[in-house]
Amino acid sequence: MIRKKNARLAALAGLVMFLSTLGVLLARQFNMGPTRPAPGFRTFGPAGAPVQILEYSDFACAACRKAATATDEMLKIYSGVIRLQFKHSPWVNIHPWSLDAAAYADCAGEQGKFKEYAALLFESQEKWEKAKEKPKEFEAFARDLNLDWPKLEACSAAPETRKRIKLDMAEAEMKGVNSTPTFFINGKRAVGLDQFLEQARKFDNLLRAGRSRPVGECPEK
Amino acid sequence: MNLKTDVKDILGLLARLAVAGVFVYAGILKLLAPAEEFAYAIETYKVTGPGLSLWAAYIIPWLELYSGLLLAAGIFTRFNALFCGAMLVFFEALLAQAWLRGLPVTSCGCFGSGSSNSLEYEFFQNLVFLALAAAAFRYSRRFSADAAMDAAETRL
Repeated sequence: MIRKKNARLAALAGLVMFLSTLGVLLARQFNMGPTRPAPGFRTFGPAGAPVQILEYSDFACAACRKAATATDEMLKIYSGVIRLQFKHSPWVNIHPWSLDAAAYADCAGEQGKFKEYAALLFESQEKWEKAKEKPKEFEAFARDLNLDWPKLEACSAAPETRKRIKLDMAEAEMKGVNSTPTFFINGKRAVGLDQFLEQARKFDNLLRAGRSRPVGECPEK
Repeated sequence: MNLKTDVKDILGLLARLAVAGVFVYAGILKLLAPAEEFAYAIETYKVTGPGLSLWAAYIIPWLELYSGLLLAAGIFTRFNALFCGAMLVFFEALLAQAWLRGLPVTSCGCFGSGSSNSLEYEFFQNLVFLALAAAAFRYSRRFSADAAMDAAETRL
């Protein structure tokens, strides 16, 4: 009798565990988990903006360079209604210096010049991405931007900096980011610049409508 | 079999649901975030290396979720209440050693990486959960799948 009762309870427990596992895996698949905010120097636009964009990018990827130009323009055109968070997703197996580039860019950000340093990395990507030894460009960019190079170098090697980037990478993996650039626009995925621009066209009307109203006014019913 | 419900049963049920809720919530928050995030929090306790921390970060959230759900449903209630209690004791030991050593733990990792209460706060909060787990162990036979199964067998 007891064995029978325990077997039934075990079956019930198995069912609960199976369903909860399925639920968690589906929630992961649909990106229902919380997203860690990017540091302030990698976040552009107001917190309450109607269009929230997450961009997973790699400084050594050519498509990401083009996307960076497009997002920069978009941030200028739709200033105040777009918020973009830049997340690192370096493909370390094919781009050996991507992770270092991300670390230097973050440390430049800590000195107030993330965007400028990132722009230089993208612009001269071909010069450093396949270098056999540590690229000299990292230091040259820092000096061009009047950054404190010794401080930048120490910061780029610091475990905290590396951890922050690896958390971005782990987050990208969990969200199923398989190529860069990948965007999440208000939670909706867009892979590559073309899909991003396609989605941008869709929210263009929404933004125009939002901009024509005075700030704080509610849309008409 | 005494079918009369008294205050202890109600309190036992509430304690069981409270502990279960905490475990399910903590488990889900961690499971929907990268395991590395929780692993880094574990590393700050300076008890395990990076490899073991990552393994623990993969396993612990599932244990929290399963034990919380089973406790809420009242399946093997006493065993699950005991298991949750044992996990809380383990967490208390980790928190206490970090507190005594004065380790700079910025995120305890209890509810994902967002939580940033002090170690003392988390320690005393866990004591409350531990007391609730003890109440769940002692008084929570009623309103459970275990009890329903017993009742069904009695009827047969």
